[in-house]
Amino acid sequence: MLRFTITRLLRAAITIVMVVTFAFVVLRLSGDPAQIIMGADAPPEAVDAFRTAWGLDEPLWVQYVSYFGAIFSGDLGRSMRDGREAIVLVLERIPATLALTVPALFIKLALGIPAGILAALYRNSALDRAVMMFAVAGFTIPSFVLGLLLVLLFAVQLGWLPSGGQESWRHAILPVITLGIGGAAALARFTRSAMLEVLGQPYIRTASAKGVAWRRVVANHALPNAAIPTVTIIGFMFGSLIAGAVVVESVFSWPGVGRLLVTAVANRDLAVVQCILLLVAMTMITANLVVDLLYGVLDPRLRGGARKAEA
Amino acid sequence: MPEAPMTDVALGAPPARRRELPPPLVMFGLFWVGLMLAVALLADVISPYAYTALDLRNRLAPPVFAGGDWLHPLGTDELGRDVLSRLIYSIRTSLIIAFGATIVGAMLGTTLGFLAAHFRGVVENAVMALVDFSASIPFLILALAVLAFFGNSMLLFVLLLGLHAWERYARIARGLAISASAQGYAGAVRQLGAGPLRVYGRHILPNIASTLIVSMTLAFPEVILLESGLSFLGLGVQPPATSLGNMVGFGREYLTRAPWILLAPAVVIVLTTLSVSLIGDWLRDRLDPTLR
Repeated sequence: MLRFTITRLLRAAITIVMVVTFAFVVLRLSGDPAQIIMGADAPPEAVDAFRTAWGLDEPLWVQYVSYFGAIFSGDLGRSMRDGREAIVLVLERIPATLALTVPALFIKLALGIPAGILAALYRNSALDRAVMMFAVAGFTIPSFVLGLLLVLLFAVQLGWLPSGGQESWRHAILPVITLGIGGAAALARFTRSAMLEVLGQPYIRTASAKGVAWRRVVANHALPNAAIPTVTIIGFMFGSLIAGAVVVESVFSWPGVGRLLVTAVANRDLAVVQCILLLVAMTMITANLVVDLLYGVLDPRLRGGARKAEA
Repeated sequence: MPEAPMTDVALGAPPARRRELPPPLVMFGLFWVGLMLAVALLADVISPYAYTALDLRNRLAPPVFAGGDWLHPLGTDELGRDVLSRLIYSIRTSLIIAFGATIVGAMLGTTLGFLAAHFRGVVENAVMALVDFSASIPFLILALAVLAFFGNSMLLFVLLLGLHAWERYARIARGLAISASAQGYAGAVRQLGAGPLRVYGRHILPNIASTLIVSMTLAFPEVILLESGLSFLGLGVQPPATSLGNMVGFGREYLTRAPWILLAPAVVIVLTTLSVSLIGDWLRDRLDPTLR
C-alpha cells in the first residue's frame, strides 16, 4: 500500500510539473510576458522594471525555475484590467461558483446513481428505457440549450423564476437544475453500464446459486464492485466543482469563476486565465489522486502498483 | 442468450445471418446525418439568401408556422437576416469544424499510440504522461486558455478541437497495437522485412480501424457540442462567419421577442448529436464485440 501511495503521489507531482510547464511555455510563446501582464499601454520604464523584477532578462531556464518559485508562493501576476492580484480576483469568485456546483453535485449523485442501479437491476423494463432516454437526452442537449429552454419556460412563459443574476437563492434554482440534470444523466448511464458489467460476472451467479438472497447479492457483491469504476466519474465531478459551470454561469449571468474566465479570455487577461488554469488543474489532479488512492482501498488487487485498468 | 445457440447446433441449422435493417432510431439518425451532409454540401445552391444579406424592412419576422410568410420560412433575426440561410451556412461551418477536428484528433492520437506501442520504455511513459496531463485539465478550460493566449483563427480552432479525445485514440491504438504485435500476422510481415511504417500503416491499422472508427463516431458529437459551446460563449467561430453555437449565442439576446432565432439552431444541434451518437452506439455493438 505504501508503494502504491508513493507511485500515485509521484505521478500527481509529475502532472503538476507538466501543467506549470505548459503554462510557462504557452505564456512565453504568446509574446513578451512583461508587455502582456503589464498591459499594452504601460510606460516602458515600468515594463523594464517588471522585466528585471521577474528576471525576464535572465536565461530561459533561470526564468523557468523562478517561475516555479513564483507560482508556489502564490504570486500569479496582476489582472491587466483592474491591476488587482489575479489570485485574489479568482478566489473571491469561488464561493459563487460553489453555490451552484455543490448543490448540483448533490442532485447528480442523488438522482444519477439510484437511477443507474435501478435501470441495471430491472434491465429492459420501462424504467430502464426511461432512464436511458433521460441519459441520452442529457448527453445530446448541450447545457446552454437546456438552460435557455428552462429560462424560456420558467422565466419568460410562466414567470416563476428569475432568468439571470445572483440576487437571491431563487436565482440559483435554474442554473443548479441545468447543471444537475446534465450530470445526473451522465452518471446514470455510467452507473448502469458498470452495474450491468458486474451483474454479468460469474461470482454473481455463484452467489445466487448457493442460495444467497438476491437483495444480499446486490448489496454485498454487486454494488461494491460496481462502485469501483463509478468512483472515477464522481472524482471527475469533484474535480470540476470550480470549473464545471463555465457555460451555465454565462447563460445565467452568474458571477462565478467560469464567467470570470470567459471575460478574461475575451479580454486576453492572461494573468487571470493562467491563474484559473493552474487552480483548476490542481483541483483536478488532487481529485484524481484521491480517486486513485480510493481505488486502492476499494480494490485490493490494484495495490501492486499496476496501472489503472485501461478502460 | 443461453438457449438459442444450443438449439441451433443441435438441429444442425446453418447460423442465421440475415441482413437486417438497422433499428428505426438508427435509420432516423442515418437519414438526419445524410440530410445534414447534403445541406452542408449544397449550401450555396439551396440557401435562399446570402447568410449576411440584410432585409431591414423585415427585422425579427416570425417563421411561417408562427404567422410569418414564405419570404423567410424560419423568420429573420434582429438585422433582418434570413434564419434559414444562416442555419444552412451554420450547419456547413459546424460540420466542417467537427469533421476536421475529429480527423485531426484520431490521427494524432493513433500516431502517438503507435509510437508508444512500438518503442515502449521512455516514449511510452512520455505518451502516458501526456495522457495524464490531458486528464488533469477539463478540455473546455484548456481550450479557453489556448484561445486566450493565442487569439482565434479558424485553423487554430480546428486544431485545438482536434486535441479533444486524442488521448482516447492513443490509449486504444497503443493497447491494440501491443496485442497485434504479438499476433502472427504482424510477426510474419516483419520477418518478411517490412519496416515499422509498413507494419503499422498497412497491417495493424486496418485491423484495428473498426475500433478507431467507432471511437470517432462517439467523439464527433462531443466535438460538435464543444464547438457550439465555445461559439456560444463568443470565443469560437467569429462573425461574420456563423456556426450553430454562434447563432444560439446571438439569438439569446432576443429570447423573449424572437425565440425562433435560437430554437432553430438548437434543434439542429440536438438532433445532430443525437443522430451521430445513435449511429455510433449501433456501430459499436455491431463492429466491436470487445467493447460490448
